[in-house]
Amino acid sequence: MLKAENIVTYSQYLVSLLITWVLVIILVLRYFQIQVLSHDRYSQKANSNRIRKVTKTAPRGLILDRDGHILVDNLPTYVLTAIPGELIHKETQFGNISSIIGLDSSIVAKNYKKFYRGRFNATRLAKDLTFRQISKLEENRLNLDGVYYEQFPERYFPSDIKASHILGYVKEVDKGVQSNLKNKNEYELGDLIGWNGLEQYYEPFLKGSRGTSFFEVDAYGRTVRQVNELEPHPPEPGQNIVTTLDYHIQYTLEEIMKNKKGVILVSIPAKGEILGAVSAPDFKPDLFTGLMLEDEWKSILHHPDKPLINRFIQGLYPPGSIIKTVTAKTMMENPEFDPKTALMCDGSYQFGDRLFGCWWTQGHGKMNLTDAILNSCDVYFYKTTHYYDLDVFGNSFRQFGFGDKTHIDIPGESIGNVPSIKSMNKRYGRYGWSRGALLNLSIGQGELLVTPMQVLKYINLLATKGNTANPHFVMTNDKGNDVTLQLDSDIWNQIHWDLRQVIVDENGTGKGAQPNVDQMIVYGKTGTAENPHGENHAWFVGWMDYIDAQYSIVVLLENAGSGGTKAAPVAREVFLAFEKKQMVSFE
Amino acid sequence: MIKFQAFVFSELPTRIIWAVIFLTTMGLLALYSISQHHSGDFLQNPFSKQVLFLFPGLVIAFFILFIERYSIHKYSYLMYGVGIVIVALPFLGAKTVGTYRWLDIGLPFALQPSEFAKVFTTVALARYLSDHNLDMKYFTSIILPFALVLIPTAIVLNQPDLGTAIIIMSPVLPMLYWAGARPFYLFLVMAPLFSMLTAFHNIAFTTWAIILGVVIFLTRPGRVLSLILFFGNIFLGLLSPVLWNSLKPYQQNRVLTLIYPEKDPLGSAYQLIQSKTAIGSGGILGKGWGEGTQTHLKFLPVQESDFILSVIGEEMGFIAILGILLMVGMMISQIIKRSYHSKDRFSSLVLIGIATILLSHVFVNTAMTVGLIPVKGLPFPFISAGGSFLMTSFLMIGLVLKLSVNYSD
Repeated sequence: MLKAENIVTYSQYLVSLLITWVLVIILVLRYFQIQVLSHDRYSQKANSNRIRKVTKTAPRGLILDRDGHILVDNLPTYVLTAIPGELIHKETQFGNISSIIGLDSSIVAKNYKKFYRGRFNATRLAKDLTFRQISKLEENRLNLDGVYYEQFPERYFPSDIKASHILGYVKEVDKGVQSNLKNKNEYELGDLIGWNGLEQYYEPFLKGSRGTSFFEVDAYGRTVRQVNELEPHPPEPGQNIVTTLDYHIQYTLEEIMKNKKGVILVSIPAKGEILGAVSAPDFKPDLFTGLMLEDEWKSILHHPDKPLINRFIQGLYPPGSIIKTVTAKTMMENPEFDPKTALMCDGSYQFGDRLFGCWWTQGHGKMNLTDAILNSCDVYFYKTTHYYDLDVFGNSFRQFGFGDKTHIDIPGESIGNVPSIKSMNKRYGRYGWSRGALLNLSIGQGELLVTPMQVLKYINLLATKGNTANPHFVMTNDKGNDVTLQLDSDIWNQIHWDLRQVIVDENGTGKGAQPNVDQMIVYGKTGTAENPHGENHAWFVGWMDYIDAQYSIVVLLENAGSGGTKAAPVAREVFLAFEKKQMVSFE
Repeated sequence: MIKFQAFVFSELPTRIIWAVIFLTTMGLLALYSISQHHSGDFLQNPFSKQVLFLFPGLVIAFFILFIERYSIHKYSYLMYGVGIVIVALPFLGAKTVGTYRWLDIGLPFALQPSEFAKVFTTVALARYLSDHNLDMKYFTSIILPFALVLIPTAIVLNQPDLGTAIIIMSPVLPMLYWAGARPFYLFLVMAPLFSMLTAFHNIAFTTWAIILGVVIFLTRPGRVLSLILFFGNIFLGLLSPVLWNSLKPYQQNRVLTLIYPEKDPLGSAYQLIQSKTAIGSGGILGKGWGEGTQTHLKFLPVQESDFILSVIGEEMGFIAILGILLMVGMMISQIIKRSYHSKDRFSSLVLIGIATILLSHVFVNTAMTVGLIPVKGLPFPFISAGGSFLMTSFLMIGLVLKLSVNYSD
């Protein structure tokens, strides 16, 4: 069927055979040259001199505060390793090591098992050894064939601040961690990898690159010399990162939050730079380095206040009255609404067959918008819900960044919840909810859930009249993440006026935050958020214009009671700390 | 429809079969030796993985033995099209180890479709050259076959996989030569490439210029054409360093990483030293099966695939290497012989194409282990671990066995 005839000539056939055998013979001759003629040389090389690639850990970059104070440093420690193939009597050798360095021999054996990855690979026995322990080992060198040590930069926290939820922590790469990594080959067992917080988020910057050098080792694995023909690469340390944190502010915040449960955030609104952030209770940042006792770990893991949770990005809270400005903004965008009109508050409001109470059960009397904000009157807001519907309301919240990521440079943030008609229908059914839900939402209760970091972004938008940047912890030259919100200037002015009255009016719920310091102009809003799990959460949010600068603050005290009496005084303490700092810097 | 047809076992070229059995066995022996250190998962053990892939390989080879020769011819373009598609598919997926070579179709292992594309391209080219009774005396008639091959080559080059791209290209010249193209034209096609490559090295460029001159002098293509050819090439050669220097450093880097994909040149130097030490220390008889210190101390990198010959060289010595290379030479000679004796041109062309692919693999892999050419990741047929290539090798052997017997169809 295949009609085209073969036209290959005999000479073509011979040429092809010739080429084939020439190539094969070239290969045979080359192998002959290496295997037979140069056999002695290579044999000697293989038997007495073997090249071993030795990699050296690069120190991670440091983490600094905005003024250059070191928050996270590296401490040179020593790691003890063993080449399994060179150990003669494993058990007795482990026993020797234990008695010399004073470590339980079961820990040595356990590590050996954990890090083992082949007869001829260095396997870790112990870490965080001091120079003294190494010196002692060196004195007993002869009993320890196959045991080596190398320097290892361990994370170390030299400052007085904890900042544990910001800095995060590093973890040792073990087999389980390694198998889940995307870039496996960049890590060796025993390396440190950022596992939370800034350590994780900025891992590519902080991580250095390993150094490699090549050593000739003899048949016993002992180093003969460095191989200069193969150029060594020194380890490259990771890049330092400069955070926006202010050491003094952070220290003050941590002092204030001692024995409290909640969050304080302080930032520079225009830039989104966070000066201090505390999620209390916290833990010591070196909790994850060194030898952690099982009990210590368990007590933290099972603590009822959950210190490991990063409340400022993962905690979901009802905002309560602190978002009444968003409600106010939503109403003001309706031309039919007049902020000057006063409405009557007699302590409660009948809606359908339900009675909605004001927090001030005796009733506030006649209130316009400013009065309603400074008194934090609930009834005023119940009575104005007809100026908007749920989707308009929800969109206002989304404009201020609620229900979305703040893009904070720490992994794991929650987005909270901003309800919409669609989500309410989905949750309760088309007829399962009514406008009554809007009454709850208008005062920050109900389905609204926010993280303190979202609240900070919201406050920064208010303070700057809509020109801020996403909150962040690391200094950046990048102007690309500017966050803007354009509203009618009347609305901005009204909001600023109202929030100022909260502090200065004699009835203002936030007057406890008034620092009474020259040039300190404080704006703010309190919130007392009801929550089904216990006592109310106390909020204070606001900002302060002080000399040429502006600082924003978010205070949340879990289950502490009323925002005005509990959270506002805490904010005052923080404001006063700025005065102290100002005086220090003048000296 | 594909038609099936019985075959007579005794007519098959037994020497080729013995060579395949010998090479596969040597591969399994070497892989078994390495596998002592691979505990754990079945599929992570190169020996058991290779054995697992042997079965589909054999099934493919037997399947081809039963189908009619004409069907191979008939469906060759279709398979070529399929080949192009599957080679392009990995680009839709995620990068694996920085390349688009691998296709994950939900199996516990990934496939490398470019391996199969080698065969499909060769068979399609054979059909084109045999169908079109081209007058191969004209220079223009060799352009289209080049285009046919350049499409898959370009895709594979973008994966990027220079080694496989070279292999896909390799059958073109021998097949055109086999189809009657004037060797001088083939020389002309390759000349600019040589001019550009040798331009970076004085002695190489001088040698090349002399060869070029001699070839043009001997073939006497006419005075004007001779001058154009000679000086055109020399000019191209002189120009290429200038062109190269006018590239931005990152563009140069892109070209260099294509030619030297090993990002760390230190890495490949280290690999070569370890490979040569392993081979050299093996001597005539080797250190004994499972006794290679270079291999078992893990000094030898990628020992199960690219450097499997170094393992054999260390443990079984020069004798084993000599046996393997002679066996390969014998096998390829047999394929060429069958190609020469083939009655129809299609079969003849497929056979010479496959012979070229196999020889290219053997030469590039073997030469690399002893530093004759830069380190390129190409496996040794039937010996190196690697599922896709093992199945492809058996596909090629199936075609060889089928087409080397002159039936009446």
